[in-house]
Amino acid sequence: MPVIPVAGSERFAESGQPLQTSGPFGDVILHRVSEDITAGLDALTYEVIRHRLVAVTDDMGDAVKRMSGSVVVTDCNDFGTGIMDEAGETVQVGLYNMQLGSALDMAARWTLTNRSANPGIREGDQFLLNDPWVGGGLHQNDVTVLAPLFHDGQLFCWTAAVAHQVDLGGVSPGSWSVDGRDVFWESLPIPPVKIVEEGQLRADTEDMYLRRSRVPRLVGLDLRAKIGANNVAHDRLTALIDTYGPDTVKAVMKKMMNDAEARLKAKLRELPDGTWSSVAHQDGGRSGDREIHKIVVAMTKDGERLTFDFTGTDLQVEGIINCTYAGLRGGILPVMLTMLCPEMSWSPGGVFRCMDIISEPGTINNCTFPAGIGKASVNSAWATQNAVSETVAEMLITHPEFGRSAMSVCCGTWDLTLLSGVDQRGSGFATMICDPTAGGLGARVDNDGVDTGGAHCIPMGRTADVEINEFNFPMLYLWRREEVDSGGPGRWRGGVGASSCFIPHDSPVGEVHLVVSANGKAVPQAAGLSGAYPAATQWDVLVRDAGVREQFAAGKIPRSLEQLGGRTQVVPPHLETDLTPGDVYFTHWQGGGGIGDPLHREPERVAKDVGEGKVSAHAAHAVYGVVLADEGRADPEATETLRRQLSRRRVGLEPEQSPIDSGARR
Amino acid sequence: MPYVIGIDTGGTFTDAFAADQHNRLATAKTPSTPPNFADGFLDAIDGLAGDLGTDPNELLANTEYIVHGTTSTLNSLVTGDVARVGFLTTRGHADSIAIMNMEGRYAGLGSDEIQHMARTSKPPALVPCGRIAEIDERIDHKGAVIVPLDEDGVRESVRALLADDVEAIAVSLLWSFHSPAHEQRVRELIHEEAPGLYVALSSEVSPRIREYSRSVTTLMNTQVGPRLGAYLEPLQARLRERGFTGGLMVMQGSGGCVSAADAPGRAITTIGSVLTGGVVGCTRMAEALETGKVISTDMGGTTFLVGLVVDGKPVATTSTVLNQYAISTPTVDVHTIGAGGGAIAWLDTAGNLKVGPRSAGASPGPACYGDGGWEPTVTDADLVLGIINPDNFFGGRKKLRTQLAREAIDKVIATPLSMSVDDAAAAIYAIQNAQTADLVRKVVVNSGQDPREFTLYAYGGAGPMHCANYAADLGVNEVVVPLGATAAVFSAYGLAASDIILTAERSQPAPMPVDPAAVNAVYAELEAELDARLTKQGLRFSTVTYQREADIRYTMQMAEVSTPVPGGKLAAEHIGHIGRDFEDRYEAVYGKGTGFPDAGLQLITYRVRAVGTLPITPTLPDHARSTGDPIPSSEREVFLDVRVGRQRAQIYDYRALKAGHRVMGPAVVEAPTTTVALPPGTAGTVDRLGNLVIRYRTETEEH
Repeated sequence: MPVIPVAGSERFAESGQPLQTSGPFGDVILHRVSEDITAGLDALTYEVIRHRLVAVTDDMGDAVKRMSGSVVVTDCNDFGTGIMDEAGETVQVGLYNMQLGSALDMAARWTLTNRSANPGIREGDQFLLNDPWVGGGLHQNDVTVLAPLFHDGQLFCWTAAVAHQVDLGGVSPGSWSVDGRDVFWESLPIPPVKIVEEGQLRADTEDMYLRRSRVPRLVGLDLRAKIGANNVAHDRLTALIDTYGPDTVKAVMKKMMNDAEARLKAKLRELPDGTWSSVAHQDGGRSGDREIHKIVVAMTKDGERLTFDFTGTDLQVEGIINCTYAGLRGGILPVMLTMLCPEMSWSPGGVFRCMDIISEPGTINNCTFPAGIGKASVNSAWATQNAVSETVAEMLITHPEFGRSAMSVCCGTWDLTLLSGVDQRGSGFATMICDPTAGGLGARVDNDGVDTGGAHCIPMGRTADVEINEFNFPMLYLWRREEVDSGGPGRWRGGVGASSCFIPHDSPVGEVHLVVSANGKAVPQAAGLSGAYPAATQWDVLVRDAGVREQFAAGKIPRSLEQLGGRTQVVPPHLETDLTPGDVYFTHWQGGGGIGDPLHREPERVAKDVGEGKVSAHAAHAVYGVVLADEGRADPEATETLRRQLSRRRVGLEPEQSPIDSGARR
Repeated sequence: MPYVIGIDTGGTFTDAFAADQHNRLATAKTPSTPPNFADGFLDAIDGLAGDLGTDPNELLANTEYIVHGTTSTLNSLVTGDVARVGFLTTRGHADSIAIMNMEGRYAGLGSDEIQHMARTSKPPALVPCGRIAEIDERIDHKGAVIVPLDEDGVRESVRALLADDVEAIAVSLLWSFHSPAHEQRVRELIHEEAPGLYVALSSEVSPRIREYSRSVTTLMNTQVGPRLGAYLEPLQARLRERGFTGGLMVMQGSGGCVSAADAPGRAITTIGSVLTGGVVGCTRMAEALETGKVISTDMGGTTFLVGLVVDGKPVATTSTVLNQYAISTPTVDVHTIGAGGGAIAWLDTAGNLKVGPRSAGASPGPACYGDGGWEPTVTDADLVLGIINPDNFFGGRKKLRTQLAREAIDKVIATPLSMSVDDAAAAIYAIQNAQTADLVRKVVVNSGQDPREFTLYAYGGAGPMHCANYAADLGVNEVVVPLGATAAVFSAYGLAASDIILTAERSQPAPMPVDPAAVNAVYAELEAELDARLTKQGLRFSTVTYQREADIRYTMQMAEVSTPVPGGKLAAEHIGHIGRDFEDRYEAVYGKGTGFPDAGLQLITYRVRAVGTLPITPTLPDHARSTGDPIPSSEREVFLDVRVGRQRAQIYDYRALKAGHRVMGPAVVEAPTTTVALPPGTAGTVDRLGNLVIRYRTETEEH
């Protein structure tokens, strides 16, 4: 049944457009700077201050990372930092989760518009929010702390830190409720509330916030990390203003956005006009749903403008995979920054000025309240990113220089494994296993994708060591390894993904609770470009009563699922269950898509891949058309013959009359 | 009287310093001689003997010990000239060093590079997959044996590796830092197959939790250990042939040295060997001058290095990154950016002026060298601004061509930006100063300190031309430019004045408060281990001290804070103190109120540092004194301050300056190895050791 609309909820839906009014905003006076001061900045002052502002977002990230207590933040860099001007336009984002840098402006504008009269915005205040309709993060787990900076009584700018929190309540541990039908099954969004009042952490607001979590201490530590990051930023910014004067610093902020806009436009002018389109699929919107949901994009480049038209995208679903407009932008911005703006300051405020978004509210990547968005960030936002990435890369590879910044679609989604229960020290725990951060990257125009190289939206992701996971959580790994044939075949191969296989271990209660949510099991999601194949689908397997401990006792560690006993269950996209000490869980996440026809790949590269376990001998033969000779080298003549036959087969021609095929497959 | 000698072998020059206890000292700077660095080492000894007017063999016979900073380890790793190594690890986890926790794609890169995601890649594999073998065995987080060691499997794998001609084997098993029995048994089995083969165990090289960096550290150690041995053994033999009977020591990245015999087994500790000499030099100089906290800045041709000295000790870190691999070994925390004198100024596509990180290096060098460099560098800007005297660069040994510098700046920067060449040079100078100040501030602040409490030391050929400006930006008290006897070979001086430092550590993660009995047991074991190693150094020490620390964090954090631990037998109240100490340090770094004791604390790693002081400490002679005012050698137009622009400045020849002389900015002091810029508002005083100490004058002090 469709999601039932909630009257009055529209006022929380931030438009994503720059501030349309000049106020008044309660008694808040905005610090503004005139255009001529910006125009009159000398190159020297500009560069010095710009360098400092970038350093501030970096220092904020250091602070969040060092102070946070959740592996998701400290190890996976699933957080963001940013500086916004007085009107909320994003001047600079830190080099962390780019999805989380894409809606900070929305949060600042909404707060300015809706909180300045009541309860008021004053020096020393900070606001907390996790309402993705308002902005900030992409789903409720992304909690933003937004801090206005005042100078001489005027609101000078905003800083924000946003990070994924391990659990904020809802039906299931981790707040990813796989049975969820709408937002009321999930952690309820908190619109901006004053968490720090004139420098003082408000106990009532903090309690209201932490009370909802299954792990309030961790979340409390992270809250302090974010407040601390804003404090670090405000100290640095105040010193900068004291040295150079508020107008000069503000002028630099404006020029940074103007520069990003001008440089991106200049680059766009050099690229050919045209329209590129793509469709991204997601299988299963919640537990039990067997539908495929699509996101359609047609990207038109006309002169110095890009238009992303999502017309034709499916309507929002009764489930957990929708995303709000913040998520839609989160699907676009990481691609814009890494592929179109790699050599510029990352000033989203300027980048957004170069593009238009056409999208119908009520669709799966622009959903309305109270559609379920618990998994927005890694579902519809990520799928949007896949589609956008494909169109942008296709445009870029028409250009000999800019094409070098393109990647084929990277790891197609996030393979969510969430464990909770009682840890080996007898304390309650809930955690997301962040191993899939090591997804495969998409292929490049002149090289393979990076094996286990990451996710597109987090340039600096990280996975925790096996020992760190085993120390913190009641689990024991059988393996963590790169997986054969997981990268999309192409002239340049997509980076391979990997798998982890583990058993519950040492929990005093024996069992461990498991939540799995991962699309891309029925449909590949990391598309290939220019005739390449997509990366392999995701594959998760649960083996009950596998007999691992008996093998351990006999001195053996199983090396594959085939070596396990017990009952094997291929896991659907969404599942919630308990793992007993005799069970094994195997999770195999995706690689990246390839570029170019695999029949054009240099045969020696394929042979090397087979030797290193990146490509199977079967795929070498069937997909790459490479015949391997003795000692693992490619047989050039037999390869050429086989490739000719495969080419003929593609266009429906009869095979040539010469014996090949049999025997080459090993 | 016995001498101590410091020899610092860099890629280009070998610096040497010798001193006895009676103010006799000598310095030498000779070309390095790659790939046979030992030749350059001996040339430097000849140079020292020449400076002392004695025979090299006599000098060696009278030398108590030599401390050597060597590029050998770093060089092997950077050039890939390493031993052929096999790797044994736990079944199911061979890919750990390929997955690299994913961070290997970007670790150690600058943000410019990281933003260009499609251009980032992982480094080449440390070992080809054919030389990695997985072993059936498993230990869990408590140290319990889950799967016993498959000894037959080990033998089989070792034989296969030996058949593949490996020169050494690295062993890194899961949880071995906690329970090393399996690794130790693997070594026995290897030695049954191949007696005497170089074997490194992760539980000895880096006994810390986190298998990825532990394995990398062990592997790199195994790659360089045999090479370091092959360098040091013949060098020692050659020294003995020449009559040397003292101890040969190798500087480690930790800022302390270790005997040459002990070094190859723990070769990875020598990775920062050549980076730390300068910081140690600052430490000793600060001791002699009784300055407190020091920021050490070394601006050479290619890089700008920053280190800190607090409480009389270099600030250390527990890990570092090389070739994008994470290495866990205690090192002096030296941060570096590509902002040396050779850093290239350029315009990005939007016309913004940038400086570095690319460098013109030694070849072709700055445009003004006239060796084919066409891109403007910081040195070219310094020349155009009048700070560098073209006839007095490197004491006149390198003639510079101002016209070439002007042309390069004009073509690349000034014309495109419609600026004058002078303004463009000024902009390069200011941007260079601002970004080095940003780096220095980041380093200081991240270590939980306030730059305003520091004295800044500036050395390296290009540092003194810029230091008064970037130091002003930081608000430091004063700036010391080491001149005097140590000027040209400051890091070699640091080596000669260093201590023996050995470190032992063990991860044994546990929630706080940890049982005092367990803590006492770990520290007792670590100190016994260090005791044995100190004895093996074969040296006599005047004092030996043990410094304990514990790496602590709030539960679940990724990064720990090293917290000092008192010596002796600890009771429950001490453990409580340590916890509170951690929280104080934490708040010092991250701000008041950021600590969150509710989350609970975890103690992750125990560490002990044994410091053995050697009986001979080089003393520096006093600089000749004088009263009255110094006499300038000339004057010229110089740009020293962005707010003033070009102005008349007095030029002083350092060789004519005596202790007690005071030079008022705007001025330039030309020394044989460097040039010191004194902007208006500063005053430089020559101290008793001949260093130039720069202070900022307040209005009231103004003459």
